[in-house]
Amino acid sequence: MKTRDQEYRELFMAEALEYYDSMSRHLSELERNPNAGPALNELFRLMHNLKANARAMGFTDLGEVAHHLETLFGLIRDQERTFSGPLIRVVFAGVDALGNMIRAVGANQPLPDASALLDNLDRLVRGEAPVLDEVDEGDTEEESNRKMELSDLVYIQVKKLDNLLNLVGELVIDRDRIMTLAQEIGNPALLATAQHLFRISDDLQYSVMDARLVGVGVLLNKFPRVVRDVATAENKEVELTLSGQDVQIDRNILQIITDALLHLVRNAVSHGLETTEQRQAAGKSAIGHLTLSALTERDDVLIQVQDDGRGINTEAVRRKAVERGLITAAAAGSLNEQDVWALLFEPGFSMADKVTDISGRGVGLDVVKLALDSLGGQLRVESELGIGTTFTLVLPTSIAVKGALLIEVDERPYALPLMHTDTVLSLEPSQISVVGGVLVTHVQGLAVPLVPLRLLLHDEGDDVLPLASKSELDGPQQVLVVNYNNRRLGLVVDRFIRQQNIVIKPLSKPLDTIDLFGGVTLLGSGQVCLVLDVPALTRLFLAKRP
Amino acid sequence: MNKRILIVDDSFYMRTMLKNMLTDAGYEVVGEAANGAQALEMATSTSPDLITLDVILPDNTGLDVLKSLRQIQPSAKVVMCSAVGQEVIVTEAIENGALAYIVKPFSEEKVLEIVGAALQNDAAEPAV
Repeated sequence: MKTRDQEYRELFMAEALEYYDSMSRHLSELERNPNAGPALNELFRLMHNLKANARAMGFTDLGEVAHHLETLFGLIRDQERTFSGPLIRVVFAGVDALGNMIRAVGANQPLPDASALLDNLDRLVRGEAPVLDEVDEGDTEEESNRKMELSDLVYIQVKKLDNLLNLVGELVIDRDRIMTLAQEIGNPALLATAQHLFRISDDLQYSVMDARLVGVGVLLNKFPRVVRDVATAENKEVELTLSGQDVQIDRNILQIITDALLHLVRNAVSHGLETTEQRQAAGKSAIGHLTLSALTERDDVLIQVQDDGRGINTEAVRRKAVERGLITAAAAGSLNEQDVWALLFEPGFSMADKVTDISGRGVGLDVVKLALDSLGGQLRVESELGIGTTFTLVLPTSIAVKGALLIEVDERPYALPLMHTDTVLSLEPSQISVVGGVLVTHVQGLAVPLVPLRLLLHDEGDDVLPLASKSELDGPQQVLVVNYNNRRLGLVVDRFIRQQNIVIKPLSKPLDTIDLFGGVTLLGSGQVCLVLDVPALTRLFLAKRP
Repeated sequence: MNKRILIVDDSFYMRTMLKNMLTDAGYEVVGEAANGAQALEMATSTSPDLITLDVILPDNTGLDVLKSLRQIQPSAKVVMCSAVGQEVIVTEAIENGALAYIVKPFSEEKVLEIVGAALQNDAAEPAV
């Protein structure tokens, strides 16, 4: 687990070693040319930075040596001292001591004693002669024992990692094509090479994905402050618990959900949790509890915002949605609990009657849904009146490669991200009924509407979908149940091809305006395959159902 | 709207610490500059509400940067940031329009207090 303290320590170490290397370089230059202005300025600046950073980290002695050397270089720069005679020896010893101290910090060892050195530096600053050992041979031995060390840490711009990931994506596509070709040709040597290429590129892909992973803690650790501020503004007492900070996730995914998480947390404190008085009246602990946790579930990362507050008042949400004109009263009446909760994430929805400073800034929880949709993530809501609410963000670990199910309609392959697929069913016509012109089946006791995917793909204009009738059903129906926003929809397809990892490429103009397709991928055979966008398909079905 | 801050410091470590402190407190850090040239460029492109400025920078001194900043972004408030030992420069910086001085190593409370005061204070009343 990487805490912020550890992060600071690593940054400190990396920078301190860099400073140390630069110091040694500038010192050598100064030895050749004692009046080299730029080298003096740099030494002064490096000492100054090392001093400030070491003090911030609490390494007092290290800061002290750097401080004395900074003062000394300041004096040399202002021509009050010259870089000559015994001063050179003390300065070199000083920089060596800094190096040893930095290495000791890196190895988690106590810092070596520097009192004799500090004493000599003090003398030089005061203009006195330093006390030097007469024995000089020791120096040469130390010289030959000195190790060259480079920092173990490299800073890299996320942009460069993005580029690397794109290239790996291309490579993986070509690899799959070569694999297919090798199998078709059947040459054993070619096949063995292709298999080797397969393994290497697989390793490469995971290494690059791994390099982009950061602990969720990088984001979660920012929340104690947010919660404190919102709680203070709302006059509430809130205890925040964080867990799972070490769960690893792609850095860009974390970036994309930052605002969404901020919204959910603010919402939980300002709407989810009750005031102290309300809690006491309800027989609950005076302090509200909020838990922010990250965990892994199969290939996904779950981030949960859990409060022990009042829970979602389903009837109030239903009423508000009708008031705001998001839905007709009749339609609202027929929605189940989960469907009503999904309305919270519709654009334009807000429970607030008045706009407070913290919540209701004109941006609603719909930003949560937008962020998740863009990642192919999902939102789960669980709530019990009087007990509390849990929002769960289901996120992919990495954005590059997604598991997908390949299906076929009218002899064309389509890919559906596994993130949105619930179950695959083969249904006899007897298991399907028609309700209000829509095919319906029951999965685990819940009614799930069915629609032939063909109808959605070929849909044009504003007309509603044709009324379904059981007479169209001929033999067993292949159904893929997708799940979006807690809403399930069964897509009737011609056949299932297989499950496969795909690299999704964005559609280019002018196709990028067709929102039914989330992108395109190349199959191993070189065939182009459209990736279906489940949120868009679900929305289309809801808008066009008879 | 969140106040927008530009951080100017040549140490990555210091920038990271300052950035964490400021973003935790709800400020928006619009840029991090590691030298004077970057500072002037970012100040122009991001028009921040406040700039934290390190006194000693690799290409020129913080003081020169301060003077240029006052010309190109007179509305941006500037808070100097330095370890002890540079009080002379800091005094001169305050004479040249810097609003306050944060001493390194700084505590989170101190940084937020000084930045908050500088952002509220329209009068150029230096706080140290």
